[in-house]
Amino acid sequence: MRCDVQRRRGGRAAAAAAAPQAAAAGGGAAPIRAAAGRLTEQQGPPGLQLPHSELEQLWLEVQLPGATMALGTAYRPESKLYLRLIYGKEAQKHIRMATQPSDNTEFPPEITLKPLALIGLSGLDTVNNAIHKAIWDAFSNNRRPDRASVRFKLLNNTFEFPVVKPKRNSYEWYIPKGILKKNWIPKHVSLIPAVIVIFYDMEWNDPQWNEKIIECASRVQSIRAAVEGHATRVAVVVVQSGLSPPPSEYLLGAERAQALSSACEIQSKTLFVLPHNDHLMGYIIKLENAFYDIAQNYYHHETKNIKQHRDHLNKTTHQYLFVRHQFKLGFLNEMKQDLSTAHKHYLHSYNNLLETRQVDTNIHELRTVAGYINYKLCKLLFALNLARDAIAQLKLHIERYKSRIGPTELLFEHYAWMARQYSAFGELFDDAIRAGLPAIQSQHPGFYYQYAAQFTMKRRQAMRSVCCEATQYPPAPDPMEGIVEFYGQRPWRPGRLSADPHDPQKEQAAILALQYNERIFNHSAMIISFLGSAISQFKTFHSPRMRKQLVVEMANEYYYCADYGKALTLLTHMLWDYRREKWWFLASYVLNRALQCAYLSAKIQDYIHLSVEALSKHIQVPNNDRNRIYKNIMSVLQLNIPDPEPDLPVASQTKALDLWQSSIDKEPLTICIDMTNISSFLEVKPKFVQQKYRMDEFIDVEIYARLIHCSLEVKKILLTVSSNTETMEIPITDNGNSTVTLHHGVVYKFLCQFKPNAQDNGSDINLINISFILDLNKQRKIVMNFKIEESKPRGTCVHPELLHLIMSPKSDYNFDCIVPVTTASVMSRECRLSMLIENQAPALQGEWFPTTFTITNDENCSVYDMSITVSLLSSLDNPNPDSVTDMSLVHGKPQSQPLLIKVGDLNNSSKYSNIFYLKTNKIALIAVQIRVSYYINLHDSPKLECVRDFTTKITVIKPFEVEASFSDMNFKPITKCFLDDPFIVMPQIKILSPWSLLIVDTDLETISCCKHCDEEQQSCVSNIEVTEKDVASDAVCIVAKYKPKDPLTRIGLYNIKWRRKCNLDGPCVMSTSALPGLTIDDCPISLHVSYPEVIELQTSVPLKCILTGNTNIPVRLSVTIEGSDAYMCSGYKNTSVTVPPHGTVELCYNIHPLVTGRTTPPRLKATLLGDNSKQGTIKEIFEKNFPQNIFVIPKYNK
Amino acid sequence: MAVCVAVIGKDNSPLYIGGIGNDCSTDNELSRQWLVHTALDALEERLATSSSINANSGNSTAHTDLRDLYGYVTNTRIKLVLVTSSTSPSGSNIRDAEVRTALRRLHALYADAICNPFHLPGDQITSVKFDKQVKSLILNNV
Repeated sequence: MRCDVQRRRGGRAAAAAAAPQAAAAGGGAAPIRAAAGRLTEQQGPPGLQLPHSELEQLWLEVQLPGATMALGTAYRPESKLYLRLIYGKEAQKHIRMATQPSDNTEFPPEITLKPLALIGLSGLDTVNNAIHKAIWDAFSNNRRPDRASVRFKLLNNTFEFPVVKPKRNSYEWYIPKGILKKNWIPKHVSLIPAVIVIFYDMEWNDPQWNEKIIECASRVQSIRAAVEGHATRVAVVVVQSGLSPPPSEYLLGAERAQALSSACEIQSKTLFVLPHNDHLMGYIIKLENAFYDIAQNYYHHETKNIKQHRDHLNKTTHQYLFVRHQFKLGFLNEMKQDLSTAHKHYLHSYNNLLETRQVDTNIHELRTVAGYINYKLCKLLFALNLARDAIAQLKLHIERYKSRIGPTELLFEHYAWMARQYSAFGELFDDAIRAGLPAIQSQHPGFYYQYAAQFTMKRRQAMRSVCCEATQYPPAPDPMEGIVEFYGQRPWRPGRLSADPHDPQKEQAAILALQYNERIFNHSAMIISFLGSAISQFKTFHSPRMRKQLVVEMANEYYYCADYGKALTLLTHMLWDYRREKWWFLASYVLNRALQCAYLSAKIQDYIHLSVEALSKHIQVPNNDRNRIYKNIMSVLQLNIPDPEPDLPVASQTKALDLWQSSIDKEPLTICIDMTNISSFLEVKPKFVQQKYRMDEFIDVEIYARLIHCSLEVKKILLTVSSNTETMEIPITDNGNSTVTLHHGVVYKFLCQFKPNAQDNGSDINLINISFILDLNKQRKIVMNFKIEESKPRGTCVHPELLHLIMSPKSDYNFDCIVPVTTASVMSRECRLSMLIENQAPALQGEWFPTTFTITNDENCSVYDMSITVSLLSSLDNPNPDSVTDMSLVHGKPQSQPLLIKVGDLNNSSKYSNIFYLKTNKIALIAVQIRVSYYINLHDSPKLECVRDFTTKITVIKPFEVEASFSDMNFKPITKCFLDDPFIVMPQIKILSPWSLLIVDTDLETISCCKHCDEEQQSCVSNIEVTEKDVASDAVCIVAKYKPKDPLTRIGLYNIKWRRKCNLDGPCVMSTSALPGLTIDDCPISLHVSYPEVIELQTSVPLKCILTGNTNIPVRLSVTIEGSDAYMCSGYKNTSVTVPPHGTVELCYNIHPLVTGRTTPPRLKATLLGDNSKQGTIKEIFEKNFPQNIFVIPKYNK
Repeated sequence: MAVCVAVIGKDNSPLYIGGIGNDCSTDNELSRQWLVHTALDALEERLATSSSINANSGNSTAHTDLRDLYGYVTNTRIKLVLVTSSTSPSGSNIRDAEVRTALRRLHALYADAICNPFHLPGDQITSVKFDKQVKSLILNNV
């Protein structure tokens, strides 16, 4: 145990954790101290001179992987800070052990730090030589984790190494005095280097080579002499300028290197050359790895030495040595960075320790060492990425040692030890997670910190039961004064192994001293610290509720150590969550504790807040004594000091009374409580009686209140209502009495009425707050605010239909079934105008359709400033009505929409009438809204605006449909026409309108490639009356002029001028429809056949056929006449003709009918000679132009 | 050996917490409530990570040194928690199947209890019969 005088006094002075701790003192430490003394005398810069041991201790505390600090540097108070600054978080992590709550169970730094191979650097003058300084900096600075696990130490000439103990040849009579020596680890970690590297400046071609080689060899010799007895390896580094030697001297270099190594008696592989040039860092890293290899070799050698001892040991007397040697092997392997071998040896050591006989005198030593070895085991398992094994190791460890309690007078020591096992493991676990180990919700460091806190609580419990009598520290001699050589041994009987106490009196005094120290130890601070660590872990690992529980425990600890303010803050935060999840039992527990804290710290706001909540039916109060709490609230209102809460610590009560005395009549005089956030003893539900109110009505709000407990005199009740424009407070009265007394078990209903503001027309009004003000005319008042927030979903929806079956008092039902209504809308006053709409629907597409509306004033008085707005409403099938529909108040002239009509005043029961027109090309249902707004003067509210919307729907239909057909000049239907070949377009107008129409005129606008055949166009259907289902047919003869590039989609536009028949004098409507197109084909020739329609029998008539060339080349045809039985025919039967370009050829035949009636005349057939691509067209045009039949009438003989 | 049974509502409020303890002192009740309340952390975590809840979704467990906690979530997010002491008198560990059966029976009991027309859904379960049945379940089953 590392308990000396300084330590105990530190503990008495509330354990200043940052105080540097005096390190182990003992036989082995003497040479260090002596050496250090000299060092500081010689070269220590001015500063605080500390004993070397402390420096060493400090050094160990901040040791990092590879961090280095020249021994002998004087200690300055800022050094520690400086190191922290340099190494940042890394150092924080390593220093943390010192900042954790400290007691005597802490692990010494040499146990917790990662052992690194120690390499001594000698011959570097870092103060005067810039090159040496650069080399040293390259070794010591920027030690990143990827560099070798070594630590460099700058040795100067006067450095002395620990004296080697005489070699023991036999263990026969040797009885070890303890398990692990305290000085062994520091000695190996910082005093005995594995390698000493001697730096020497020398060029291979140095003129004074011989002198240099001798000097170098003598340096090596002196180092060898200094480390006499240790197996420390020696290496030499020759520092040279980076200039490459001339090629002639290559051989010289090799030769001289050989000579140097033999002169220094070192192996050639331990001689290195370091050129200091631009690539210094690269060389340094290479050197470092080489040194590391040598160091590993050294530690391997050391382990062999220790293994040799094993044969001399026997189990009866040397059980301790089995533990010690295995521990040493483990540690040396750890320095060698052979972690798995180290783990193996530590495990042996641990198991050997288990076999050691346990008695009351060695229990402390056993478990201290067991704790250290276990720590090492767990740390290595984490480093080897075997987290599960680490956890299992800890569990096993705890299982084995939890029943090894030791003497009952020192039971607290056992619990302290247990707590430390857990907390140290928690730290290891935490470090592993930081290094990338994944952890889960059910397995993370938080649990171990929590156990540590729990065992510290047990420790305090044990202290309370066993340390009652330790009221005074035992008189001198101080049993704690004494030097301890082994970990975990007692200073009053070091090295004693026998089970019986050799000096009962001294033993008694020592126990008393330990008990006294325990009594004054601040357990709460330690528990709070452990809980704090656990809380942050539980927060990280998604366990909010576990975290809350620990926070409450933490608050309890603050309560125990009389820090009521902190406890109160924590508890009030936690109360919120338990209340929200309705864990009323836990909430009650937290609230009662918070109430105690509030009383003890005399915080009036919190005290009243908590007291009011304590009256709620959900909260259980001690002894169910709500009357006391109610009385306390009333006392505070009357500026009297309330009664204390039950079960308060006696020591704090007088102080609390003083606090109350000084604060009772001071601020805060007005205490506001947000009742909706707490569980309340007063329940309030507001309700608008209606959802909607008219402007001329009173708005009425019902407020229901129920008191759970006692009776309450309320000075004032205020209802806050807000609308778009204002927020107002309305006092609520009970039959005109502003002071209301509430009794429990009764449901009170208050009615509050007010007029809406004229500007709130069309908006919502909200209830936002109801305040109950308690005031006993003594300056202090309590305002209980029931805030109503729209956004916040109400905790419980009320389902009155479910409440019928619940067995509760009738009065409860009356209250419970009320569904709060907190929003109502204000609408304009009801309009008392009526409207009559007259029109001749359906409207026809394209016409200006008139609608007459008549407004009748049905109000009791005249209205004024009436205005009418006529607008179109959009609907799904007509989304933008104003773009396709024109509206106007005048026939035929579109006006901007909506139409506005200023009417002005309208007397009682008089009428106003107007017409609006609309015109649309869309076939749809048009909805028209007519909004009438006006003002009226009523007796209580002048100039009240009223608005009413009237909507009428108008169907629009097509008046007619136009279809077109095409036929040739013989009225035979055709599907295509030829150029310069006239044909007839026949538009047919099918009437759909239910109303009779007059078609005034029609005309066809042809497209450019066609033209009318007739000079003067006269419509066939002008000025005719038509009714529904009539069809009016027109016929227009047109001819194609040329062939357009694209196929024709329409032949032209057909315009129809029409109007309703009933509206004869009105303007006409022009409707236009497109007529479909037909194919236009071209032909090389055009053919005109002239023949009579009617012939007399036996009369010869000519049949003339004119062929006209349409192309720029002659067309050759072979023409054949196809005879018929009904005719005789004369002319060329078979001939070939050539039609010149744009010229004509005339073929003449005489035909002579032989029979009467419809006869088929002879026909010509033509075949195109040469290019016959147009043969089909030629054939078609001949077919078409020759008459199918001619009527032959008989001849009368006169 | 089951020591405590709890029914937690979908909003995580306690609907029923029953246990068999020799004493009904406040301390015992307190530790029982802490235990069940903190068990919700593990349940919530499981519910948040599993995207869909199958019919009467499975058990989740959390272990402390002295207690094993078993959770069971119904389709309506009612959570049933069963606390067993890991040191059973017979020394044998409680098998999962037994726990599952017990939780199923508890679910059935809960369903019966809320079928009572005099029970307001969402309120604490105050039925004496339910309490009795649950206690006998604790004593007999596991």
